[in-house]
Amino acid sequence: MALTVRIVAPDRTVFDGEATAVVAPAWDGEVGVLAGHAPMITLLGVGRLDVDLPTGKGSDRYYVAGGVMKVLDDRVTILTDYAGDEMPEHLPEGARIEKEDLLAHASAGNIFA
Amino acid sequence: MANARDVKRRIKSVDNTRQITRTMELVATSKLKRATDRVGAASPYAQALREIVESLYAPAFAERFPLLRRPEREERVAVLLMTANRGLAGAFNANLIKEARGVLDSFEAKGVRPELHIAGKKGIAYFRFRGQAISSEDISIGDAPTIDDAERLVAPLRQRFVEGDLDAVYLIASDYRSALSTPPSTKKLLPIEPDQDGPSENRQAADTFILSPSAGLILDRLLPTYVRNAVFTALIENAAAEQAQRRTAMKNATDNAGDVLEHLTRTYNRARQAQITQEIAEIVGGAAGLE
Repeated sequence: MALTVRIVAPDRTVFDGEATAVVAPAWDGEVGVLAGHAPMITLLGVGRLDVDLPTGKGSDRYYVAGGVMKVLDDRVTILTDYAGDEMPEHLPEGARIEKEDLLAHASAGNIFA
Repeated sequence: MANARDVKRRIKSVDNTRQITRTMELVATSKLKRATDRVGAASPYAQALREIVESLYAPAFAERFPLLRRPEREERVAVLLMTANRGLAGAFNANLIKEARGVLDSFEAKGVRPELHIAGKKGIAYFRFRGQAISSEDISIGDAPTIDDAERLVAPLRQRFVEGDLDAVYLIASDYRSALSTPPSTKKLLPIEPDQDGPSENRQAADTFILSPSAGLILDRLLPTYVRNAVFTALIENAAAEQAQRRTAMKNATDNAGDVLEHLTRTYNRARQAQITQEIAEIVGGAAGLE
């Protein structure tokens, strides 16, 4: 069983294909996804995104900044403001999420749903 | 009968015009190709973003998120109009301006005076000429609009909506359906109204997902992105529509110039023929006089 992975930036599709595993930089650390993963939606932070291609094809490496990853029925969709071969020089605004931001949000309003 | 020399001069001038319009048609065709590629390349992101927002959205959020807030009455309204910076695109700019005037008039009938924000020289020039107050102007958007363009246009409006300074924001731009169908349309940008009747497979309830950090915080990040992307999509569709209409307009102009040329060439030949006939008649007449 394999994952169907799609990495999209606002103006282009960066990757669209099969993969055996994805390791993504979630907002709170790396998160790995294999086939059979539970449905998940998580915010992404800034960092390296590894996509392991099916046997014998190695792996693709990207750098992403901000966005969100959705996993449902072995389909992984990664939406990101930036995706490229290197770290961006200027991070998109709000790409990095600090714990303090979350706590500030939490205390400002009851948005933990 | 027209003077042959004058007709010749006009033929030359129409032919020059035809060369120019044909070149513009070719330029617009190649720009249209690139513009439609951009529209196509941006659609997976827009679609995926909409799916995620819809799967997270719950009606209860409407009260918690400023961007989803639905004011009871629309009293402070902003209209964002996108036109082209350049003309010679058929009725492209005129249609957008007409749409905008319709929207403004219908608000004014309700006693609301919307703010007018315009991107594109043509719209700015028109409303300035009419003496209408324009709240913000942007003329820096080129053939390939970027995400930063979209963010720059929408950020102040979004901010003011969040602060409660605006009750609604409308967006007027051309839809790009095909190269021959690019109607102007008015969309509600804010408040965001997630499509409740979307395809059922996208409507996976939020509680079946592991949500990290939380549905609320994810939406808190995604909703501003959603608004920005709606503007970005409108910008690139509008840019493609502009090129499509310019190509059609220039093709018509080239064809018309061809028709005019054909007509003028006939007129010229007739005038020339008449002149020759007359000269022969004069010679024959002169020769007859000598006998």
